[in-house]
Amino acid sequence: MDRKEEKLICYLEQLPQTTVPSDFSFRVMDRIGAKQQRGYWLGNFKKLAIVSLSLVFLTLVFFTDLPLFPQFNISGLSGYRRVELKFFALSENPKTVAVAGDFSDWNTLQMEKKDDNSWVITLKVKPGKYQYSFVIDGEEWIPDPDSYRRIEDGFGGINSVLVVNGG
Amino acid sequence: MTEKTDREIIFEVLNGNRDIFCFLVRKYERPIFNYIFRMVRSKPDAEDLAQDTFVKAFSALNKYDDSYEFSTWIYRIALNVCRDYFRKKKIFFFSLSAPIGDEEESELEDFIPQDSFHNPDDVLLNQELRSSLEKAISDLPIKFREVIILRHLEGLSYDEISTVTGLPVGTVKTYLHRARKKLQDELGEFLE
Repeated sequence: MDRKEEKLICYLEQLPQTTVPSDFSFRVMDRIGAKQQRGYWLGNFKKLAIVSLSLVFLTLVFFTDLPLFPQFNISGLSGYRRVELKFFALSENPKTVAVAGDFSDWNTLQMEKKDDNSWVITLKVKPGKYQYSFVIDGEEWIPDPDSYRRIEDGFGGINSVLVVNGG
Repeated sequence: MTEKTDREIIFEVLNGNRDIFCFLVRKYERPIFNYIFRMVRSKPDAEDLAQDTFVKAFSALNKYDDSYEFSTWIYRIALNVCRDYFRKKKIFFFSLSAPIGDEEESELEDFIPQDSFHNPDDVLLNQELRSSLEKAISDLPIKFREVIILRHLEGLSYDEISTVTGLPVGTVKTYLHRARKKLQDELGEFLE
């Protein structure tokens, strides 16, 4: 090491230190406190969100027929499902009740009258979504009173929607 | 009461006594703040980055490997914080022709002189030398600036610098040699 280098090192080591703001450590601790607080709320929010989403999902699984799980239809022949549609006549006493929908190309299918003033039909359909309506006494088209799944038919009327799950 | 060691403080922090981390901040705030200020040459930025360094250290305390000194570890965090700062600002070295701004001049006045000056000529010489030296350091490429500050201003050993920078000891020595050479070239007249 030559003299110049020694002198340089000497100068470097004599360079003065800068002052640190007197409240520096407090500000650091404030930031740490704020960060932990944020982390606490974020953690709680995440837990709450997970619990809420789980509840919503379980509600949908147990109380609706929504196709929430992926379905694989391996055989086209074995893919039919039996679905029973029921119509209850509460206030009026219709003579005939039929059903028409996507599954019948909108041809009416007569339903069988049961003792309890209800009409029943068992359909054999593939999994999917189908629009349908009941036809009362061959004239009046009404959506299924017991189904909340409804859709406009594009002609000013309302159809019910039948969801048939696969699997 | 005997003073707690860094490891004892860290142990307590990890066991839920967050406030005791303040002792570590107070112990290392000056070297870390100085290191960062020497690197970035802006007091407001240095203050923010020094705070970031301690906040990051606190957050990562559970990953701290106590086979290293805490002092080395905190320097390493500070070095990475500075590298991120330069990366974000896309600064790889300061221009040799860049003038020292008013802000920097006023910040230099905040320095506490370690030596006393008696002769007015000495004061002038030393202030001029100090300014030139500060400028020469800030003109060094970042990789050279890191090692020269850690070695000659912060007093770290070669091994410690190697740990902080992640460079082999041989590379640290090479960088130091080249950095000193550059500084000598810049400060020629003062070293005669």
